[in-house]
Amino acid sequence: MSVRIAGVAVFMIAALYMYFGKQYSADFGDVLGPSVFPMVVGIPAMLLSATLVVFPSGEVSWPDRGHMARQLLALAILLGYAFLLRPLGFPLASFGLIAGIGTVLGGAPLKAVILGAIMSPALWALFDQVLGLPLAFFGYWFTQ
Amino acid sequence: METLTLLAGGFAVALTPLNIGLLLLGCFAGTLIGAMPGLGPVNGVAILIPLTFAFGFDATSSLILLSSVYFGCMYGGRISSILLNIPGDEPAVMTTLDGYPMAQQGKAADALAISGVASFVGATVSVIGLSLFAPLLARMAIYFGPADYFALYILAFVTIGGIAGVDPRKTLLSAMIGLMIASVGIDPISGIPRFTFGNYHLYDGVDPIVALVGLFAISEILVLLEKKAADRTAPIGITSWLPDFRTIWMTRWAVLRGSLVGFVSGVLPGAGASLGSVMSYSVEKQASDKDGTFGKGDPRGVAAPEAGNNAASGGALIPMLSLGVPGSGTTAVMLAMLISLNVQPGPLLFERQPDLVWGLVASLYLGNVALLILNLPMIGLFSRLMMVPTWALMPIVAAVSFVGVFSISNSVFDLEMMIFFGVLGYLLRKLDVSLVPLVLGLLLGGDMERNLRRAMSISDGDWSVLIASPISIALYVLTAVFLCLSVWLTMRDHKRTQSRVTEG
Amino acid sequence: MKIVTTTSAVFGLALAASVSLTAVPASAAECIAPSNPGGGWDFTCRTIGRILSELDLVEGNVQVTNMPGGVGAVTYAMVANERPADADLIVATSTVGVTQIAQGRYPAPIDAMRYLAMLGADVGVIAVDDESPIQSLEELTEIMAEEPGSIVTAGSSGAGGWDHIRLLMVAREGGLDSLGDLRWVQFDGGTDAVTQMMGGQIDVVSTDMGEIAGFVDSGDIRILASLSDEPIPAFPDIPTAKSQGIDVTGYNWRGLYTGGEVSDEDYNAWVEKLKTLYDSDNWQEAAVEFGLVPIWRGGAEFEEYVREQEKAMADISRDIGVIE
Repeated sequence: MSVRIAGVAVFMIAALYMYFGKQYSADFGDVLGPSVFPMVVGIPAMLLSATLVVFPSGEVSWPDRGHMARQLLALAILLGYAFLLRPLGFPLASFGLIAGIGTVLGGAPLKAVILGAIMSPALWALFDQVLGLPLAFFGYWFTQ
Repeated sequence: METLTLLAGGFAVALTPLNIGLLLLGCFAGTLIGAMPGLGPVNGVAILIPLTFAFGFDATSSLILLSSVYFGCMYGGRISSILLNIPGDEPAVMTTLDGYPMAQQGKAADALAISGVASFVGATVSVIGLSLFAPLLARMAIYFGPADYFALYILAFVTIGGIAGVDPRKTLLSAMIGLMIASVGIDPISGIPRFTFGNYHLYDGVDPIVALVGLFAISEILVLLEKKAADRTAPIGITSWLPDFRTIWMTRWAVLRGSLVGFVSGVLPGAGASLGSVMSYSVEKQASDKDGTFGKGDPRGVAAPEAGNNAASGGALIPMLSLGVPGSGTTAVMLAMLISLNVQPGPLLFERQPDLVWGLVASLYLGNVALLILNLPMIGLFSRLMMVPTWALMPIVAAVSFVGVFSISNSVFDLEMMIFFGVLGYLLRKLDVSLVPLVLGLLLGGDMERNLRRAMSISDGDWSVLIASPISIALYVLTAVFLCLSVWLTMRDHKRTQSRVTEG
Repeated sequence: MKIVTTTSAVFGLALAASVSLTAVPASAAECIAPSNPGGGWDFTCRTIGRILSELDLVEGNVQVTNMPGGVGAVTYAMVANERPADADLIVATSTVGVTQIAQGRYPAPIDAMRYLAMLGADVGVIAVDDESPIQSLEELTEIMAEEPGSIVTAGSSGAGGWDHIRLLMVAREGGLDSLGDLRWVQFDGGTDAVTQMMGGQIDVVSTDMGEIAGFVDSGDIRILASLSDEPIPAFPDIPTAKSQGIDVTGYNWRGLYTGGEVSDEDYNAWVEKLKTLYDSDNWQEAAVEFGLVPIWRGGAEFEEYVREQEKAMADISRDIGVIE
């Protein structure tokens, strides 16, 4: 069933892709134009996904509710990191990331917190000080 | 003979204590930078360019330092492919196919040793090719026109079909998704933004590194989370800390074939290391996968792409140095580096600055030896990474990947894209869809489209231009042979399995 | 735990070793090249960055960032949206960038930035392979006017970009009316186009001299005309288009802009630094070596020049039919 749903999803995406792709045109000095390649890719993608809907192959066993909740939690932590990196600065945000993901992955919370506390300033030092890739130590929540 | 004299001069330039020190430092730093997911040669070289100015090294010393970083990164990229199933950079994608299964079977040390030796041979073959035939090969490469490149990409995509996955439809669909993603961004030919929906972050398209790290690293976390806690924390056993030399010897033909195929793809400007590793892998699979062990931890499946990508990155230096055409993203970095040092690559570089060119060539020979010597003892150290419990390792990998991506683009949008690709990668993996074709579609799609359109512009819309040159015809014949071979092999395997079933 | 300790010990050691060797002060100034490494904008940033630190005009080094995409559009949008007031940031631009703005291909108008200075100009040239039967600009314009479909032209810009427009200006001056009949092929750089011409895929290349000068020295290609008022100093034998009766010039100046909200004080400080750089031997030598003609326009004068050029480019583009 999952394969069928995925097939439908890819079919829809490919259809949308072709719908938008068709609208691009350049009438000056470009023989093939920007819309032909999307067609060349979109049509076989639609055909292939259609065969997956009709003749699906393989079974998918999705994780149970408990594990899925953990996955969602991990995604929430990752997204939180992306949003908080600038306001908090690198070491604090990474501390949250390492401690959080470490715990979700089954590490003892205390150990994960210690790991985060050690690794986040170490990584900051590695990137900012050694490698010269500038990363803010404190984000704009602290500096303004 | 003249070449040998020039090369000897080059060694004299390279073999000063300062240059050897820089060489070792570059190799070491490069390996570490390359091993970190999200950081590759681009960052490695960018990080060290200021250093060369700060210390006021002359052009040759700077070039030696930077090129050893470049090669070090190519070596380092495979380490996380093998140990974590996360390619450190684009050309290392193919190494995940057999490298990671080997590591899971407890043969991480073997896989690392094989890839180290294969990288060494591949790189050395390409440097020999570079020193003997550079100007000649560059002259031949210019006869490759847009239609021929298009044929080459078709060949690459057909061979991808045979690479991985249970259901070939899913493999092809994965490549199609990659091609769709590749067409996002401002179209360089017409200047029109496509599929960007007004978001300027998408104007330059999807950065392959962002997609790569998301697809492999983030999805790995999600996959790990669905296992039981006990499976997750138990480290994988390692059968031996020392590589088995018989296994390495077994891969000798794979290494040689991979080196040759990789070198040829490297010499063609625009193709580069990723294509080199793809082609080497598929050629090797066609040539020697008699028992269907490829993709399940076959040492030859590690050796071929590693030899291929290192041979290609050496080969790519040929058009870069003698024509000034950067073959790939990574050689573009080398080109920028030369320009920063006030050196203009081009047809006269070999005549005007022989000291510099041959010093560089000599340092490539030395750098590869240094990398092999540095890398073999580090195998034990790196394979110990496998003993670090998952709960401690993966969060650090995630943090490093995020920083690697963020520090280049300084864009939170890229981090969100990475997470998006993580979810996509997870779903595809659950559906038994191989991620490798997707990445290759993304990497090669842009060039494939542009060359098709260039060919059509040249012919003013006449499609027959695609089969007008002997090179493209030869490539299409090769494609057809490849297709027939895979069909024949699949049918033979099918028969074998069936007869086994009836016997059993 | 022991393994973790060993690993981290080795890691720490490596860290310490690299710290001691790479202790470079983080630099304040940043120059963005809105292209991949290797092209003209990249050269502008890398060379100016190098000389700025050689002359101690900035603290430490200038960090060069490559931010390719949409012929500069990505960087333009980024600076307009995220760093309009960042006084440490300079961005390379050129005639190519202004052409894009004039054609409405950037997501922000010309006023969104403050233009600092131009430091030199690359000269547009029309080149053919050394074995091409076409011997002079006159022969080429004749072929273009009479049988525009018989030759294939190429350069480093997309259709309607500056390389293309310059060639069309030459073709129109030479008597071609239906400009759309001339075939144009985009390549990723001038060198790519030239090597494809050497391989026989295309017939004529229109691009900047700087990038392809090496092929002229080596004798692989022949320059039919330089699109400049005076012959290029490094190549005095190459005739200008004007001297062959085609009154077209096509410079590609190299310059820099900074964010639109940078203060007057910081803006003037940059202009002053760049003037010092322009007057230095370091710049004069580097510029000539890469085929540029050093030209100075800075501050208010340059701002005005850029705006005028934008209008002129919009007119040409409309005339030729690139935009409506």
